[in-house]
Amino acid sequence: MEQSAGKMAPGTTNPAQEAPAKLELRNISKWFGPVGEGVHAVDDCSIEVKNGEFIVVVGPSGCGKSTLMTVGAGLEAPTHGEVLVDGRPAGPPGPTRSVVFQKFALFPSETVEQNIKFGLQMTGVSAAEQETRLAEQLKIMGLELFRKSYPSELSGGMQQRVAIARALVMQPEILLMDEPFGALDAQTRTILQEEVQRLHREKHYTVLFITHSVEEAVYLGDRVVVMTKRPGRIKKVIDLPRDVVWKTGDIELAAEHPEFIEFRREIWGLVREEIVSI
Amino acid sequence: MIERRLERMGVMTDRGKAAAYGIFSLSVLLALWICATSLFQWIEPRVLPSPAQVIRQFAWIITEPFSGLRLPGHILFSLERWGWGVLTAGLVGIPVGVFFAWNPWFKTFLNPVFELIHFIPPFAYIPLAVLWFGASTATQAMVVFVAAFPAIVINSQLGVAQVQKIYIDAARVFGASPFRTLCRVVLPAAAPSIYTGLRIAISNGWMALVGAELVVGKVGLGFMIAQGQENASVATIFVGVITIGCLGVLIDTLVQRSERYVLPWRRVAS
Ligand SMILES: Nc1ncnc2c1ncn2[C@@H]1O[C@H](COP(=O)(O)OP(=O)(O)OP(=O)(O)O)[C@@H](O)[C@H]1O
Ligand SMILES: [Mg+2]
Repeated sequence: MEQSAGKMAPGTTNPAQEAPAKLELRNISKWFGPVGEGVHAVDDCSIEVKNGEFIVVVGPSGCGKSTLMTVGAGLEAPTHGEVLVDGRPAGPPGPTRSVVFQKFALFPSETVEQNIKFGLQMTGVSAAEQETRLAEQLKIMGLELFRKSYPSELSGGMQQRVAIARALVMQPEILLMDEPFGALDAQTRTILQEEVQRLHREKHYTVLFITHSVEEAVYLGDRVVVMTKRPGRIKKVIDLPRDVVWKTGDIELAAEHPEFIEFRREIWGLVREEIVSI
Repeated sequence: MIERRLERMGVMTDRGKAAAYGIFSLSVLLALWICATSLFQWIEPRVLPSPAQVIRQFAWIITEPFSGLRLPGHILFSLERWGWGVLTAGLVGIPVGVFFAWNPWFKTFLNPVFELIHFIPPFAYIPLAVLWFGASTATQAMVVFVAAFPAIVINSQLGVAQVQKIYIDAARVFGASPFRTLCRVVLPAAAPSIYTGLRIAISNGWMALVGAELVVGKVGLGFMIAQGQENASVATIFVGVITIGCLGVLIDTLVQRSERYVLPWRRVAS
């Protein structure tokens, strides 16, 4: 049995039957500025995201969550550690790892449809395919009426939908989402949370999702990673039940389920310890 | 319905107000001028011509050739020299400014040279321009170029340097090469600043042009003013000065208006 892993890349540390994680952050540390003098944002964080898994990272404000994400996307090099995709060094950023940025980062000079098609054009997807995928995303995100609008003409919620559509249209292997609902009003947030939950169930995206909302973490995550205050370390990883009814329905209903309440209490307790101890 | 109409009226009155103030201040100036000359003759006609004299001179220069050309001819020559100067300044200055910001090495290397050039007044180049190009269009165009160039470089550089990193990150994530990031993300984001640079360059260039024409050449609005001095015709000088002022305002207004069409996303942002 153990000899049958002939297809594995050489040097892979795990020659067992289990495939390597889709995305792995291995012993990541990040200093901004010189080591020992600058800002120590992240300290020795390891996170594995398996294929089709939805991992949520929670932690107090400023603990290094966004830093972890930019390192994971390849936008910043870690000071120590490495980022692996399918067990191989991930290399520069690219469309296999789509990102939804904390501050949207829509291109202000481009219309909604230009923003969404941006990545497709950069990677040489055929014009016909571009139109098909654009139409699909506009429909999913309810943006059909706004396709010719500029980001500055849209509400925050609509802008965030565009940012999500722009990431999903790439059909990425890995989706990195940095507090994508942080800036939204409660109603829009609820709707988008349910939408993302549905997309994950149906399309089995591999997701690394960052939030400071414990409820969001419990509702969306297959596993929740709790970080300490800065420099961010991994405080605890909590496995959540996957195919339970309360995760597939409305978030309001889920929030009344005893199991949900128990997880929320546990995770909130862990996060609170970090906030209180500042 | 009513609200919308009020809104529309509100816009009208806002614009109307600005126009009314403009007309008012210009009328006061005109009235003072009339009082000082035609009406009370506070100032001698040799020193300050009356509006009537200036209008007569306008009519004269428009219908009869002045030093070989009618007024529109002089205007076209001036515009041509100015156009070439500003065009080349834009074509060279925008890339230079962009690369100053995009490539730090480029900036470190060229900035000292640029700083030095920047502090030499455009008119100091006139003798050089004459030696290089003789009395041709290129002479004045070069002076315009020198006057226009720094503003374009500085503002293009500022515009690019101010582009937020998050947009560049986004472009990288979605697979854009550095060159396509520059074209599709950085330049549009820097465009308003580049536009500001162009506007400053256009007015600097216009002023430098008239200065250069005073000294070299046998046509153009600056030359016309110089001829007025030669002939002791204050009215001719006034015709030249008023034409220069009005054309300057006209060009700036056109450039300002064009921004809304060249940068359509800015229309809604403001
Ligand atoms: N480019 C940078 N240069 C220097 N310091 C930085 C940089 N980016 C982040 N930091 C610092 O690193 C720390 C972690 O920042 P980060 O944005 O990762 O936190 P976060 O957990 O995402 O916070 P929030 O919840 O507010 O989004 C902060 O102290 C921040 O000031
Ligand atoms: Mg953050």
